[in-house]
Amino acid sequence: MKATKSLQVLLLITALLASSSVCRAEITVALTKGFVKKYKDKATIPTTVNIDRHHKHANPIGSGSDDGDIHIAGRDTVVRLPMVAEIINGAKEPDALDFMLQAAAGTAIPLTGVWRFWFEHPGNEDQIQGEDVPTPANTNPDHVFEFHPVTQFDTFDCLDSFIPIEDEEAEFIGYEAAKAFGSYEKRPATITKSGTAIMITSNKAGYNYAHFQIRLAGKPKDVGDGYMVLANIYDSDAKSSDDPVVEDSRRMVFVKGTNPGNLVKDKKKGDKLKVLGIPRVNLNQVFAIASGLDTDEEYSEGLPYEMIIVAILKN
Amino acid sequence: MGLFNSTILDVIIGLIFVYLLLSIICTAANEWVAALTRRRGKMLKKGIMQLLSNQSTPQSDAPDAMIQAFYQHPLIRALMHDTNHPNYVSPRNFSATLVDIMTGDTADVQFNNLQDAANALPDGEVKESMLALFRRAGNNVDGARTAIEGWFNDAMDRVSGWYKRRTQLWTIIIAALLTLIANADTIQITRKLWTDPVLRAAVVEEAKVRAQKPRPSVSVEYQDEDDPTNPTVTRNEGDRLSDKERDLLSQIVGWRGAMRDNVNWFTPLGWLLTILAISMGAPFWFDMLNKIMNVRYAGKSPDEKAKTPEKSDTSVRA
Repeated sequence: MKATKSLQVLLLITALLASSSVCRAEITVALTKGFVKKYKDKATIPTTVNIDRHHKHANPIGSGSDDGDIHIAGRDTVVRLPMVAEIINGAKEPDALDFMLQAAAGTAIPLTGVWRFWFEHPGNEDQIQGEDVPTPANTNPDHVFEFHPVTQFDTFDCLDSFIPIEDEEAEFIGYEAAKAFGSYEKRPATITKSGTAIMITSNKAGYNYAHFQIRLAGKPKDVGDGYMVLANIYDSDAKSSDDPVVEDSRRMVFVKGTNPGNLVKDKKKGDKLKVLGIPRVNLNQVFAIASGLDTDEEYSEGLPYEMIIVAILKN
Repeated sequence: MGLFNSTILDVIIGLIFVYLLLSIICTAANEWVAALTRRRGKMLKKGIMQLLSNQSTPQSDAPDAMIQAFYQHPLIRALMHDTNHPNYVSPRNFSATLVDIMTGDTADVQFNNLQDAANALPDGEVKESMLALFRRAGNNVDGARTAIEGWFNDAMDRVSGWYKRRTQLWTIIIAALLTLIANADTIQITRKLWTDPVLRAAVVEEAKVRAQKPRPSVSVEYQDEDDPTNPTVTRNEGDRLSDKERDLLSQIVGWRGAMRDNVNWFTPLGWLLTILAISMGAPFWFDMLNKIMNVRYAGKSPDEKAKTPEKSDTSVRA
């Protein structure tokens, strides 16, 4: 009897500690107010990245993590957080890949990409902008910040990579709108501020890519390096009479010079597009929320997000 | 017996609660040690010494003449508290001080003045670094200053790394000391919670109170909101332990009576598990406690929901 009890106790402790290593706690990311203010209404950030690790070839195209991306892990001079850069449709950017393969580890490369702040691979450590960024040990280190998609890699223009992710055999379309947005809408967040920083706390997010239909709620606004527009979100194949999958409109981010950007700039309220997108934290709303808080207050509701449109899908 | 049997859940809650309390004590002790040993200032000093040591000046042959001149400069002296090393030196201050030391009283410093001053330095590591930096400065005094700031920033990245690693090491040392002093043996704690229903119930009640307190949080300040270098991170690990929490903790851990008599060959394993748990930090165990409380009570209490400030309205969303 005593032995059974001891065994139960040991099993309990083992289960608890095992679950501790599996369960991902919330982490906090701290950004300077100046950074948030500067980039909250921008599509991209130009920077210089020390390339530490990179794929030797693009991911295959299929589903899940087979998204056709080329991953680059490194340390940059502007964002100064653990980060990766991802070139989408990597197989269609052979020059950039060749250049990268020839570059020595640690080479500093000018890079511009859509900034993407999202708790997809947060790890267990808080991430403080400006703290020492360790040299990544692989192409996908713990990070919340991405340049994704990359728009310019050294001298290589990647704007043409914003097209459907497909090859002769497969097309990558991501998750269905209802599933993906159902998850985005439930992301928890705690937002606080200090005199000079904004802190955002959340936990691991899923459903990286989603395919959906947008119906513009207004006219696209030119923000210098892109266009931003509020839109209602529907299932990809929704009919006019169908309800949106999200009650309110959400902000869509298009990059200038890309196929989606060129297409959206002349659209007007009510126009429809079928798109492939990835979520990122909406720093405009984070800034607005933080501005309304006292320093000892916190916001504890949904994580504000917006969608980066990476491709226009065929109807 | 299913996983969601309330005894098992309550024991898990109790164990997490104990880990949380010990983590809070560990963090407080770590901050006290950091302040006492002036850890941040010392790390910064070590980083600056690495940059400026082994360099004499035209005025002095002493091998540490450059570093002495640096610390005697008014811009740096103004940052000292008593004789303590400052916790922060901005790249701009570092660059201005170094340029001042090299060029002396020269008014309106031009790039040529800087290059001549670097050439005039006795052989040393700073001279080599300066000449290398100025070669890439594009004959521009602002470029030279930026290059010196970049040189300093690179060194400060290393300092941050040292600081973080030193703090992690201290966390483990303090967790180990705390565990041994308190005889916080995970196996014994679990057994005690398992076999003592009154204690278990009291612990769960107090854990419920703790779960309703604000989450341990991180607050960061920068010298300048546009400059992400050298953040000062303050971790608020929740309130201090309440009297009731301290009382409960003393009933669960310690060296008295049965707790001392139960020390056996498995005890080191129990201590090791506790050390590992404490080193995961208070925010981790706070989140775990909240999650398990949600499972135990199937939803958060109205008190906790009330913590959200009214002005934080989702209507801010676009």
